[in-house]
Amino acid sequence: MQSVLSAQDLAISFGSNHVLKSVSFEVGQPEILGVIGPNGAGKTVLLNILTGILKPNSGTVHFMGRDIANIKITERVRIGLGRTFQIPRSFENMSTYENILVGGVYGDNIKEKEAGRQAVEIAERIGLSSHINTMAGRLGLLDRKRLEIGIALASRPKLLMLDEVAGGLTESEIADIIKIVKDIKAQGISVIWIEHVLQTMIDGTDRVMCLAEGQNVITGLPQEVMQSKIVNDVYLGVDEDE
Amino acid sequence: MKTLLENKTNTVKVGVVIIALALLVTLPNWGTRGMIPIFTLIMIYIAFGQMWNLLSGYTGLVSLGQHAFIGLGGYALAVSSERFGLPLYVGFIMAAIVSFLFALIISVPIFKIKGVYFTICTWVVAHSLGLFLSTLAFVNYAIGINIRATFRLPTSTIYYVALGVAIVSVLAVYLLLRSRFGLGLMAMRDDEDAAEARGVALYKTKLKCFLISSVIMGVAGAAMFMNLGFILPASAFGIDWTISMVIIVIVGGKGTIEGPIIGAVILVMLRQWLFDFPGYSMLILGAIAIILILVAPKGIMGLVHRFTGAEFFSVRRRPKRITEPK
Repeated sequence: MQSVLSAQDLAISFGSNHVLKSVSFEVGQPEILGVIGPNGAGKTVLLNILTGILKPNSGTVHFMGRDIANIKITERVRIGLGRTFQIPRSFENMSTYENILVGGVYGDNIKEKEAGRQAVEIAERIGLSSHINTMAGRLGLLDRKRLEIGIALASRPKLLMLDEVAGGLTESEIADIIKIVKDIKAQGISVIWIEHVLQTMIDGTDRVMCLAEGQNVITGLPQEVMQSKIVNDVYLGVDEDE
Repeated sequence: MKTLLENKTNTVKVGVVIIALALLVTLPNWGTRGMIPIFTLIMIYIAFGQMWNLLSGYTGLVSLGQHAFIGLGGYALAVSSERFGLPLYVGFIMAAIVSFLFALIISVPIFKIKGVYFTICTWVVAHSLGLFLSTLAFVNYAIGINIRATFRLPTSTIYYVALGVAIVSVLAVYLLLRSRFGLGLMAMRDDEDAAEARGVALYKTKLKCFLISSVIMGVAGAAMFMNLGFILPASAFGIDWTISMVIIVIVGGKGTIEGPIIGAVILVMLRQWLFDFPGYSMLILGAIAIILILVAPKGIMGLVHRFTGAEFFSVRRRPKRITEPK
């Protein structure tokens, strides 16, 4: 499988706190890579490095074969790195339509007319057609999470990074999100999916990587990773000997 | 059905704008003599409010030094007219040029400063500019300059200039918000970091806004001093101007086009009613602003919008055709 993103030996510290010590991984095209790990393992920090919000102390990131170290946040969106936020950060005083429009006009650099047509299609795909003119601030949690994905999709990403989109959702809502993510992959878009809800990792990803103490401790098929001793030890805090 | 209603609402809005414009344009013909100076002030304060709102309400750049451009605009008009004998309209062009250049130069250092430090820095810049002009013989030190060319102007001419400035300011903000640039601006207003993560270039957008706001502020400043006929550093670069702008925007409604219009009307009318009690109008407006911040942070327009959903200068974008949900 061809790789869309390749990270080598990423490390970052905040003072004496070494959040990431040496993390390497690849994301195939198209592939859904799940990222799990206990709180403070550096999952969101990793995502912030990939999107350009944080600069790593060392290590490299290649996206579509290109070193993106010196590429600004806004430019990273345009070359195809889309993201969602852990706590939905849609534009509250703008409608669903306008929110998705921002993603198209600025993230994909297309004309507003074209972005408008695309926004209607995306709203339908993510199940927000009936709320297309609703202010984002008035949407419920599931719909705001859908909208987060919609805005990111509007920038026509090649790699979409999801930060705990299933957090706080009910079982049936999680099933909806998994379906949306699988549809995204079916369109040829790769996904990095950070999540605490383990069921989403088993049902919705191709591979899972577990971060712990600033390192990638295991990467493999979802079932294998979830059943591995190392994940039980460092992530779930379960010692098999007990 | 909904489209029909929307079309009807839009027709009503266009009708109201045309009637309001017609009334304002013909004011010197039907208004009393006392009304013209009041409306002149309202118009200029609308422009001040719109420009401060454009900068602070949308980009989050809370400047307490925008009066620097009012002073620069006023001095550009005074110097062009009094020192170089140029016609007043050239003074307005100079006000725009000087404001643009000063904003461009000053943006380099002050845009490196964030948050409350930016706010303090803008005030320091404006205050220093006033002090600097007080030392220049060319502008008659702190004593000030009479702008004699304005003495001969009929009040109606000054009113029309003020009306023009107000219309330009409202139109500029409306057209900006309707453009691609405005879409990013509204996103920035709601969440700056999220906007950047979606591809909105923050620095470029803020700089453009700062330049546009400063140029129109400079021209409005020239209009204000054309109305006053006299300029001196203490009044031109006094922070009172910016305090008025802040109150106009907070009372009227931050981040809306209607807000500064409502705020400017209230500010000027209250000052007129309390003319014999100088200082009280600002005290009352300050109290109103504090109450509104506590109970209705989006100002009067925010309340109107919450209870009626009304938006006069709507910059909302709606899909051309909505596919019905299955």
